[in-house]
Amino acid sequence: MAEWILQLQSLRDTYMNVLIGVLRYTAPILAAILLFRCMKPLLTFRREPEIWAWLCLTDGQKLPITHWESVIGRSKRSDIVVDAPEVSKSHGVLTRYDDGSWTITDADSAEGILVNGKKTKIHALSASDVISIGSVEMTLQPITPRQEQKLAQLRTKGSSFLSSLCNILLLTLLQLLCAFVFLMNPDQKEAQSVLIGFGGMMIMQWMLFLFYACIRRTSFEVETLAFFLCTIGMAVIATVAPEESIKQLIAMGIGLAAFLLVGWSLRDLERVKKIRYLAGIAGVGFLLITLVFGETYYGARNWLVIGSLSLQPSELSKVCFVFMGASTMDRLMKKRNLILFIAYSVLICGCLALMNDFGTALIFFCAFLVIAYLRSGSVGTVGLAITALAFAGVVALKIAPHALQRFASWRHIWEDPLGAGYQQTRALMCMASGGFFGVGPGRGWMKNVFAADSDVVIASVCEEWGLILTILLILAVVGLALFTVRSAAVGRSSFYTIGGCTAAAIMLVQTVLNALGTVDVLPLTGVTFPFLSNGGSSMICSWGLLAFIKASDTRQNASFAVRLQKKGGGKNE
Amino acid sequence: MNRIASRAGALILLAVILLGGFGFFLVEYLTEADDWVILSGSPHVYTGGNIGCGVVVDRDGILLLDTRDDRVYSNVSVLRQATVHWLGDRYGNIFAPALPYYASELAGFDMLNGVYNYADSVGVAGLTLSSQVQTAALDAMGSYKGTVAVINYETGQLLCAVTTPTYDPDAIPDLENDSTGQYEGLYVNRFTMSTYIPGSIFKIVTLAAALEEIPDITEQTFTCTGSYVIGNEEITCEGAHWDQNLKSAFCNSCNCAFAQIALQLGAEKLEGYVAQFGVVDAIAFDGVTTATGNFEATDSGDLNVAWSSIGQHKDQINPCAFLTFMGAVANDGTVTNPYLVEEITVGNTETYEAKTKTGKRIMSAETAKILQEYLQNNVLTKYGADNFPGLTVGAKTGTGEVGGDKKPNAMLAGYVADSKYPLAFLVCVEDAGYGKTICMPIATQVLEACKQALS
Repeated sequence: MAEWILQLQSLRDTYMNVLIGVLRYTAPILAAILLFRCMKPLLTFRREPEIWAWLCLTDGQKLPITHWESVIGRSKRSDIVVDAPEVSKSHGVLTRYDDGSWTITDADSAEGILVNGKKTKIHALSASDVISIGSVEMTLQPITPRQEQKLAQLRTKGSSFLSSLCNILLLTLLQLLCAFVFLMNPDQKEAQSVLIGFGGMMIMQWMLFLFYACIRRTSFEVETLAFFLCTIGMAVIATVAPEESIKQLIAMGIGLAAFLLVGWSLRDLERVKKIRYLAGIAGVGFLLITLVFGETYYGARNWLVIGSLSLQPSELSKVCFVFMGASTMDRLMKKRNLILFIAYSVLICGCLALMNDFGTALIFFCAFLVIAYLRSGSVGTVGLAITALAFAGVVALKIAPHALQRFASWRHIWEDPLGAGYQQTRALMCMASGGFFGVGPGRGWMKNVFAADSDVVIASVCEEWGLILTILLILAVVGLALFTVRSAAVGRSSFYTIGGCTAAAIMLVQTVLNALGTVDVLPLTGVTFPFLSNGGSSMICSWGLLAFIKASDTRQNASFAVRLQKKGGGKNE
Repeated sequence: MNRIASRAGALILLAVILLGGFGFFLVEYLTEADDWVILSGSPHVYTGGNIGCGVVVDRDGILLLDTRDDRVYSNVSVLRQATVHWLGDRYGNIFAPALPYYASELAGFDMLNGVYNYADSVGVAGLTLSSQVQTAALDAMGSYKGTVAVINYETGQLLCAVTTPTYDPDAIPDLENDSTGQYEGLYVNRFTMSTYIPGSIFKIVTLAAALEEIPDITEQTFTCTGSYVIGNEEITCEGAHWDQNLKSAFCNSCNCAFAQIALQLGAEKLEGYVAQFGVVDAIAFDGVTTATGNFEATDSGDLNVAWSSIGQHKDQINPCAFLTFMGAVANDGTVTNPYLVEEITVGNTETYEAKTKTGKRIMSAETAKILQEYLQNNVLTKYGADNFPGLTVGAKTGTGEVGGDKKPNAMLAGYVADSKYPLAFLVCVEDAGYGKTICMPIATQVLEACKQALS
């Protein structure tokens, strides 16, 4: 009997060895194919100029309007250049709405805007309205519903249902392989958690996919990339803290809900203008709650502990900050809007300084920089921002001794491998041990290092899954960001463009700080890797941010945040 | 919108920072990963403070050490004692750098696969040492302190290198309560880490220098009356050797004759040749760096030049370095660097294979041939060829006076001329007595074991 059991065990060992021997090559190959298939349409879709209306001048000139939000002004960088001395640099904003209606808004111009001879701040335009900007008179001629329909037909479609299905099948295959290896591992004591973790994730992604199919959205690349990152994150958790698989799954579920909620709110810009204030209050509220009720860990007061649950509300504030930072063009052009945003940023910054969390402060600051640059772009504003960064940096360093210590050991980790350099020397050792293809899931050692599934998560991935897969994870984040940049050119509203870019910037900055911090190219700041790191708040935040990226996707039938064009009429769904 | 759209490109800067930073890391990875992977404490490589990822076997595949699971040594006590100074102990008391030096190879590390290997195959390091010779050498050393070593002078393989006193890592003696002094320097690998006053074996060096430098040296006649006066002092022999040529002066180990040769050479020339022969240089192999010897003849007067030339004064030699020099003499004047680790395999993959490193020529082939002839003559006429049955051996004994109340160091350096057994050997015994009486039986026993091991 004993002999028989031994035989069986050795048989299982053999299966396990073969399985890992195969998986360490299949996983990066599958991931590479998946990444390529997802990134190709995101980075190569055609961005054809679309004409939505014409501005007819009295001299017979017809100016095409190619955006839903267009700045009229004397400045050469305006969308519609009207070169007359009494026209301000940015004089007014023409805005198209979902229902096809148009308004013109005065952008705090010197001379103001007259519609049918009456001075106006904002006016809903009809075809007969005569707009006077300085001495220049013009009328707006929107395209006909028929032309609109034609545009929709010509517009680049999102990926086909079949292509998306293929991607999600590939991802599912990868997930099944992962789950199988972890369940086969004879040392696996938390098989149930791991099974629920992977299984639940698969169910979620398929449900989302089917939901998309029901609402006739077929493009799933952005979500597939996120789920790919989540999959590897789940695999790390299965190694490092398998008992937390279910917790992470629940966070993922909440994250998806947040993704859909934010996406839904972004679908209607009028709705979003109202929600924006709510989000703003919530953003500060999260930080204030942390300040009042929060716990201090490692010098930073950024944890809220409720029973057995620990949260990082500052993660959720990031999403709110993006809401507050983004703005439609007509409001963007007003000083009031800018002042409000700066005041809000100062408020947030104050909270962060009190929280003493250097990493989070840095991320907010980068997000602030991106918003500031996109909004105004004037050198003065950026200069102000950089001054603020220097100021904030000094304060952060002064108030955060642990951050200072990390700076001190930066690029000197090998001088103190048991002290300040402990995490990173172990990380590099484990990454080197993994080579290009990893030592196999569950066979790494990085799990014994603090924050192996969060702050230094890429070392865990690299050790068990290899350097190639680690690079693919980073490329996935870069891919999301580049897609947002590309989408900006055909953005419907500055709200989407600013929101998408800020969200992508936050993801990029987090990846920079996390990945480069782990490998000692930058100081270790204890920031999470979007979707990958174990951490509920971070997971929810990542999905919330992803909604902004998704919303900036204007391809036909691609994004739920953009309404579909109904066949045979101008009505929108 | 146009303005915002064009500014969105700023994100590319962040992406470039990310990719550039990670690219920088990848370059570091490609150049430094083999250092990172053997970070002390790496569980893939070490167990506790010790290397813990491989098995060590001798040249015949006999298990010496399994480093996994708290280090399992050979099941033969005497073999454990004979090899512990190369393998290291469990507590890091013995400095044995060769295994850690090959840590990444033992762990099966390569850039592509990291330390992954199918079915967690264990790394196997094959040493050049022979268990048979090691145990024979340890037995021959008896209770003496010192070292005995044999090298293949054609390849550089260390066939034997035993150091005493030693101990069984599986039965550690009570060192704290020991007052006999028998464990003094217990943790030192004398072969690599010690230096000795060489005594007359250093005459091989002086002889080689004379052969290289003085054209008619072999035709000269040296007279020994039992003492040779230099200034107010004298160099003495144990008896008068009267008139003798170079060969017999070497065979008689005549101090007076060598004093005359040293003075003919002069201090600077002598120092120059010592440097050229590398006798007092540190030698490096397999992560081991030997102790540096010492030779100072200039600025200390003719008397000390003479004493230096016969292996006294401030002369210090490291056994490994001197054995390497002996190997060069036997190898017709060309140095072959010694090595300990023959090959390392992990699973079916060979991760390391030793290559014979033939160094520079340190003396002419003619000089080497004459030295070989003279060394063989010593055995034939002085020490007795029957000490080495079946072998053609050349050797030189030495008695290094250390002063104090200690008996002299007994030394023996030699080589085997048979092409089947291209071996150079060195025996150093501390606090012992005459080289011939003490070392010859040890060499006899060890060379006999070598013969068997190589057959």
